[in-house]
Amino acid sequence: MHGLYIHIPFCISKCYYCDFYSLTDVPELMDRYVDALFSEAISYKGMGFATLYIGGGTPSLLGSARLERLITGLSNRFDLEDLLEATIEVNPESAGRDFLSNAYGLGIRRLSIGAQSLNEEELKKAGRAHDRRQVLDAVDSAVKSGFQNISADVMIGLPGQTIQSLSETLNILVGAGINHISAYCLSIEEGTVFSRFPPPDLPGEDDQACLFESAVDLLQTHGFIHYEISNFALTGYECKHNLNYWRGGEYIGLGPAAASHSRGKRFRNAASLERYLDDQSSIVEGVERLDDRRKAGEEAMLRLRLIEEGLDIREMAGKYKHDAVESLVARLDDLVSRKMLVNDGRIYRLLPGSALTSNRVFINVIS
Amino acid sequence: MNNLRNFSIIAHIDHGKSTLADRILEMTGMVRKTSMDQMLDSMDLERERGITIKAKSVRIPYKSSDGNDYILNLIDTPGHVDFSYEVSRSLKACEGAVLLVDATQGVEAQTIANANLALDAGLKIIPVINKIDLPNAMLDDCSLQLYTMLGLGIEDILHVSAKDGRGVAELLEAIVDRIPPPSGSASDPLKCLIFDSFYDPYRGVIPHLRVFSGHIASGDKIMLKSSEKIFEIEEVGYFSLGLARSESIQAGEVGYVVALIRNAGEIHVGDTIVSADHPEVPAIPGFRMSQPMVYCGVYPIITSDYAKLGAALEKFKLNDSSVVFEKENSAALGYGYRMGFLGMLHMEIALERLKREYEQDIIATMPSVIYRVFLKDGEVLMLDNPSKFPPEGEIDHIEEPVIRTRIIVPSDYVGPCMELSDAKRGVLIGIEHPDDRRAVLVYDLPLADMITDFYDRLKSVSRGYASMDYEMNGYRAGDLVKVDILVNNGPVDALSYIAPKEGAALRGRALIHKLSKTIPKHLFKIPLQAAIGSQVIAREDIFPRRKDVLAKCYGGDITRKRKLLEKQKEGKKKMKMIGFVEVPQEAFLSLMKIED
Repeated sequence: MHGLYIHIPFCISKCYYCDFYSLTDVPELMDRYVDALFSEAISYKGMGFATLYIGGGTPSLLGSARLERLITGLSNRFDLEDLLEATIEVNPESAGRDFLSNAYGLGIRRLSIGAQSLNEEELKKAGRAHDRRQVLDAVDSAVKSGFQNISADVMIGLPGQTIQSLSETLNILVGAGINHISAYCLSIEEGTVFSRFPPPDLPGEDDQACLFESAVDLLQTHGFIHYEISNFALTGYECKHNLNYWRGGEYIGLGPAAASHSRGKRFRNAASLERYLDDQSSIVEGVERLDDRRKAGEEAMLRLRLIEEGLDIREMAGKYKHDAVESLVARLDDLVSRKMLVNDGRIYRLLPGSALTSNRVFINVIS
Repeated sequence: MNNLRNFSIIAHIDHGKSTLADRILEMTGMVRKTSMDQMLDSMDLERERGITIKAKSVRIPYKSSDGNDYILNLIDTPGHVDFSYEVSRSLKACEGAVLLVDATQGVEAQTIANANLALDAGLKIIPVINKIDLPNAMLDDCSLQLYTMLGLGIEDILHVSAKDGRGVAELLEAIVDRIPPPSGSASDPLKCLIFDSFYDPYRGVIPHLRVFSGHIASGDKIMLKSSEKIFEIEEVGYFSLGLARSESIQAGEVGYVVALIRNAGEIHVGDTIVSADHPEVPAIPGFRMSQPMVYCGVYPIITSDYAKLGAALEKFKLNDSSVVFEKENSAALGYGYRMGFLGMLHMEIALERLKREYEQDIIATMPSVIYRVFLKDGEVLMLDNPSKFPPEGEIDHIEEPVIRTRIIVPSDYVGPCMELSDAKRGVLIGIEHPDDRRAVLVYDLPLADMITDFYDRLKSVSRGYASMDYEMNGYRAGDLVKVDILVNNGPVDALSYIAPKEGAALRGRALIHKLSKTIPKHLFKIPLQAAIGSQVIAREDIFPRRKDVLAKCYGGDITRKRKLLEKQKEGKKKMKMIGFVEVPQEAFLSLMKIED
């Protein structure tokens, strides 16, 4: 079954590291935007989905009324009866008690809070629109609203970040009831404030690796499983929507810049809110259908991101042509012999502790 | 035959040979005036480096001022010291040579070396001072140098500007007047010299010939003197700007033959071709075969491309007969070839051509010279590959090849040039002062030091003013040791080299440091060591890479992620796996140029 992703491309301000597609200063377009999502949804009318993920941008900027209209509208157009998980991303500055209670009332049971850090300096230097207090208030409100499945995004390698400050952030979040952490390493992307004005106290590659490893250690002592390269969860709190990505599953993304994977094809919408609102006729671009050999390589690369689950070759055998799987197995076995992968029967996994250096492996996994 | 003139243009590098050839082609109406400079330099690489690598010929019809029609065969020659063999081949096919001197530079080392080659071949020399259009032209100084350094008559010297065409008409007249027509009779039995060749995928090896006697036409049967192999001629012709088919070529002329010679190894430049009906005609004597001085290993990046590389080398040798190659294998690099070259520039150009024109993904190992290794049991080995050296305990002593170099340098730079030569283990043989502005330094230098970066350093310490030429001057004993390079604790045979014991540690450190900057970080620590026998003389570690994650896998945009990985994967293909370590192509060659 497919996943459904809804992109909400609005933010109160642009963070200094962010290169995702989002716009600021256009709150007046939000109502039209919800309608535009419904227009796009017509193409997939009646489809059933197993997971729903409302991401951004800042979905919490929609406010309660628009969120309700969105959820109701989606329920009318799609079959969401068997939904296993519904997530919304919120940013602390717009995740008030009312909004969260409303969201819970609409059937959303999973929250992803864009915390990034609890250190005031780090938040300021990263251009975040909230402070430490707002994060803690959001978590508190979430718990009080009934959410039991709460994730927080934490950035690794923020300017001025130290192992100590990172540990404090993580400890407090976990103590407050967070049971899932997405820890992404900061990278300087073109077009961001950081690429124009590189901060002098930006941790280097090796420092980032130290920070990351300290986070892994700390979260593991709290009982978190490092289940994907950048994701940690208490058992049972893994993100089902994202697991579907990493297992090579299919999904539909609605909204500008949203990516989809359906009927073997990958494609994405153009990153233009203007076009998305005015004329969606040619919004889909970059349609890609890979042959079995490359497709199998791609799925293997994704599945290997799942550190614990790994890549079970039997999952592939049913899906792809024999020779595509054969050649994949040959590549995987070669990596095992080069001590870049471990193999336990039919399951291949990254070497313990090698999450941050997995690119070298993936290069050899893709065809 | 009296209207034939066969000549070359010889000069020090950058003195304007190719420009003069262009101007001659233009003024004789062979080509229209064009913005495309340097017609004869057809290889991309030649244009890029601004030097002529392959000698080529062109047949130019010319009407002289006396009203007679002439045929001028111009053979373009390379100017760099590495290519003196090609110069000597071209000269064999000529009766005269235009000796070109840059008016702003004067007589340089290779002016002298090339002039001597021409004099030895018995050619008539026309001395020409070029670039007279430049404001800093020193006509009197140049004339005096030609007289004092080469014994050429001042009254015979012509002044031209190959750039704007001044004096070129007079030069064409002088070529007709002063250079003798070829001798030899078309009715005598056939005798020709192969002075060049190239490979055409459809027609096989196409030798370039100078006919000394007799004539040759399609249908004739010819014999190669060296192998006594017989071929039937399919086509003969002249060199226009391409190949121009003709009925026959006669004594005195220069041309080509097509004889379906499939095997590259059949044709040796310098060989004599005679008629199969007259196999008794003797070979042309005194042709010098090329003498490789620098050797290196050449290996395919992908081991299975070994056969492809072999085929490419066969073809390459047809076009550049001065390279030699034979199979070799390396524990680190697998199967490959040992190639021999005339010098460092020749090596660099040949390797570049193999990559570009012959599309080979290769790595080349450190260049080496041929050492004479005396063993304790009395045996003497000639070894061009350090990895083949016997254990130190078996060696009594080692001799290395020495060159005698003549360096011409303005007096102001004598000091730095001497310091450099001393540092490179040079022995001063003599200093001459042909005039009050410049000195000629004669040094005996180990060839091994010469081939690394001597020429570059000489240019740099003399601000580009020094020029040099060299010839082999036998062997001398040296206090030499074999240095092994260990990557990740395993010796890499392809990286070992021979070095003087003195300063070996210093150089080893510099080399290891350079290597540490060239090999990318891996997941594990990579120790790099230089060792003499079991004694480690230098060590550096490449620390493990702790993070290589490229982009977040976020928002389901898998395609972007995959494309980034594919791009990285492409980059990896240019690396050679040695054990578990990926070594980039440039690691090997970059090691040659180590600052002391």
